[in-house]
Amino acid sequence: MSEASNQLPEPFNIDGPLNTIGNTTARVDAVERVTGEAKYSRDIKLPGMLYARVLRSPHPHARIRRIDISAASSLPGVRAIITHETAPIVWGAGSVDGGRQYDDPTKEGTQQRRFIFNNPVRCVGDSVAAVAAVDRTVAEQALKLIKVDYEELPFVLEPEAALEPGASLVWPEGNLCPDFRHNYEPMVSNLGDIDAGLAEADQIFEDRYETSFVHNAQMEPRCALAHWQGQKLTLYTPTQGISNCRHDTARDLGLEDHQVRVVCNFMGGGFGNKNQNQDADLVAATLSKAANAPVMLEYSRKEDWLGVHGRWPTVQYYKVGVKQDGMVTGIQMRGYSGMGPYRKNSGGISGMDAYACENRQRTIYPVYTNRTTSGNFRAPAEPHGFFAVESMMDDIAYKLGIDPVDFTLKNMNRPTEARPYTNFSLDECIALGRDQFDWATRRRVTPGSDEGPIKRGAGFSFMMFRAGVGTSSAIVRVDSNKMYTLFVGVTDIGPGAKTTMGMIAAEELGIPMSQLEVVAGDTDRCPYSVGESGSRTTIQTGYAVMQAAKDLNQQIAAKGLPTGNDVLIASATPVPTTDGKIRQCFGAHFVEVEVDTRTGTTKILKYTTVHESGRIINPQTAKDQIRGATLQGIGQALHENLLYDPASGQPLTTGYYRARHLTHLDVPEIEVTFIEVDDGYGPFGAKTAGEAGIILAPAAVANAVSNAIGKRMTSLPISRDKILQVLL
Amino acid sequence: MANDKHIDKQGEVPTQEPLNPKQRSRRDFLEGAGATAVAGTAIVGTAIPGLGISTANAQQSNPSSNPKTSISLRVNGRRHSLQVDDNWTLVELLRDQLDLTGTKIGCNRSECGACTVLMDGKPVYSCSQLAVWADGKAITTVEGLAQNGRLSPLQQAFVDNNGPQCGFCTPGQLMTATALLNNNPAPNAEQVKQALVGNLCRCSNYSAIVEAVVSVADRGGVA
Repeated sequence: MSEASNQLPEPFNIDGPLNTIGNTTARVDAVERVTGEAKYSRDIKLPGMLYARVLRSPHPHARIRRIDISAASSLPGVRAIITHETAPIVWGAGSVDGGRQYDDPTKEGTQQRRFIFNNPVRCVGDSVAAVAAVDRTVAEQALKLIKVDYEELPFVLEPEAALEPGASLVWPEGNLCPDFRHNYEPMVSNLGDIDAGLAEADQIFEDRYETSFVHNAQMEPRCALAHWQGQKLTLYTPTQGISNCRHDTARDLGLEDHQVRVVCNFMGGGFGNKNQNQDADLVAATLSKAANAPVMLEYSRKEDWLGVHGRWPTVQYYKVGVKQDGMVTGIQMRGYSGMGPYRKNSGGISGMDAYACENRQRTIYPVYTNRTTSGNFRAPAEPHGFFAVESMMDDIAYKLGIDPVDFTLKNMNRPTEARPYTNFSLDECIALGRDQFDWATRRRVTPGSDEGPIKRGAGFSFMMFRAGVGTSSAIVRVDSNKMYTLFVGVTDIGPGAKTTMGMIAAEELGIPMSQLEVVAGDTDRCPYSVGESGSRTTIQTGYAVMQAAKDLNQQIAAKGLPTGNDVLIASATPVPTTDGKIRQCFGAHFVEVEVDTRTGTTKILKYTTVHESGRIINPQTAKDQIRGATLQGIGQALHENLLYDPASGQPLTTGYYRARHLTHLDVPEIEVTFIEVDDGYGPFGAKTAGEAGIILAPAAVANAVSNAIGKRMTSLPISRDKILQVLL
Repeated sequence: MANDKHIDKQGEVPTQEPLNPKQRSRRDFLEGAGATAVAGTAIVGTAIPGLGISTANAQQSNPSSNPKTSISLRVNGRRHSLQVDDNWTLVELLRDQLDLTGTKIGCNRSECGACTVLMDGKPVYSCSQLAVWADGKAITTVEGLAQNGRLSPLQQAFVDNNGPQCGFCTPGQLMTATALLNNNPAPNAEQVKQALVGNLCRCSNYSAIVEAVVSVADRGGVA
């Protein structure tokens, strides 16, 4: 990694050189992670703990006429069984309409509540019932004894087909998802005058793009261990946000926040699908209450695939107007996002906002289908959107005989007087990457021009992505032995939040990491934190850590260090702003591929990334965030897809092998360069890193494949059969 | 060349010991009789437990009447003689009975490698080995890598090179890499990738893992 420049767009004084930040620092819990001592949720055992299993629908759409649990109930060892009849619990975070973040009147108004068990069941894998028993074997045997009488209903799998007249209905109100105000309208954003923009163009280009359902596929399958002590519920559960999980769970179960404790010290990844609380938390809690014993609910890998969620598949129609000199005059997009039977998250399709063109119109239809649920996956709205719009622009550039990088530099968003940024480094990212990658040599000016069956080509993509500031909390304490304790409600889901928070505290306190303990992952011990979603933890909780440490420093300066059993404590919940300026991170990716046109195989030869994520706190973990996210994006570009059999509505590719996730052997070297900047906001100028890498990879890879073979690849994943098909 | 020896993920197919049903207890028998009472109920539902593929009628087997077998094995150098259910997998034995929860279950079907342990020095997926097959074997789990509180050079390399992101695949990566290093103390990156191909990492921290393993040679080997 190199620091290509150290631009300081605005004066910002740092008190002396940094001691901890910017130095590669081993994780504070690294030893636990490599010795097996780290206790993940499924590793926790409580005395008298029962095991739970969930019965799931085998049908894509069916009404449950009757559930007979009598045989299962009388199986020795069975302690509790719950169904939609006995546990009508709303899972608020399970759907946007009536969802978690809205007020009670809004929730009351919804006609489309998502329960932990739903009738009708609306996809293969929808939950039907749950059993708690003395061991796993008994729980699984009890599931087999539950007699369910299903009335099978017609189903629909594709979002466009779901909106056609006469399509079978997933919900009675229609297949267009309502928003959180119960409006059955598409999401429309209009800027400027799209008709005028297109009329002004010399040429109009139109194309259709589609992207697949990509499962988050985190290594740790969903589980939840629930334990009631009186009226207090403790949940040991893998979550990307203990505070959010606590609040959601309390509301769904009719409790006060303080009646719920959420503990998550280690968790095996989530990439967005462990945000908020999960149905598993509510099911385990309900079974535990019924059985009067701790209950561990475990999902199998296949259940995790179908019972949790992944990135929404999309269809996107673009219409772009361009002047002969390559200036874009209008961008119109109509998109369809397949949300499955519950709209768990937005269904957004991002990307066109990265262009400066003043005439833009975007219409997105989030659509119900009888596939599994779609929700957040690392940069929820971005990779599929950037893939489509940047493929569209790449195609136009080549058709006009313009270098796509020059085309981008001509058309990308930049700060204006009306839209100031805290800093803007996209030009530098692109220039540096173009140079490092040797773009001029590697790209084919005429796509597909290599002789012979094995063809090379190069692709480029760029992005800008939110890095806004916001509130969170932290507490820091010092005792008479000069030992410091930092209390932060973070969970290290992989990026290293505990360590990052510790580094920020150590830096501000002026102490070595060895003098600091980081307490995290427990709502009874830690203050609110924003949650490990939206790449916000470093910026928001990190800033709170910084402010709490400043406060403690002032206390120590005023009172001296504590003596005896006394301690000094500081807490902070700052509400920072960016003074009206836009704050974003930036990046550019360049990739060279080799396509064997006889087999359709794509091999990545060189991959260069340049990112500006503000100041880098921990260089090694930041670099690995970019590398890992980029590889996930390559998987989305080339392999991953949850296929369904159109005749039966059955999912076909649930699992790592079937979805073709990358293995060690599929991994090219990902070169990472950070342009480090301190814009004066966030903790020491740190910005977003976790989601940044995945946004660019599908677009860059798709553009490279198209450059190699001379045919535009409009459908993800770019699997071998699709390459062979366009070359026929 | 010995250094190129491919680490066979599945190992050899273990010889299956004859299963010994003699250990069935009186209590098992009584509970078995109890279950018979509900066995007459006709089961016609098509619900699929845990999304298994079978829609066959429910089994009427008794929960506690699983046949059991006595086995003895060494785990991390310590000898255990115990009775195991014949349907227990090795990872269930390790996690549930021996409290060695460092070994993780990612897929429970030989796809991801999170459950990799060493059986007589060879990496195996412990989710796909029956516990009875471990009779007479020496098993090493991630808990057995550090000696006297000192991390192995490979573990230290994982600490220094950010080998774990979420850490869930880490124990499996460590075990396969340990077997590789025992055969080839100085593998190159390509050899590491070949050996670890059966260990998935969805954080996709693959490069950091390979860099960690390659760096071990410079630290004086795995032992």
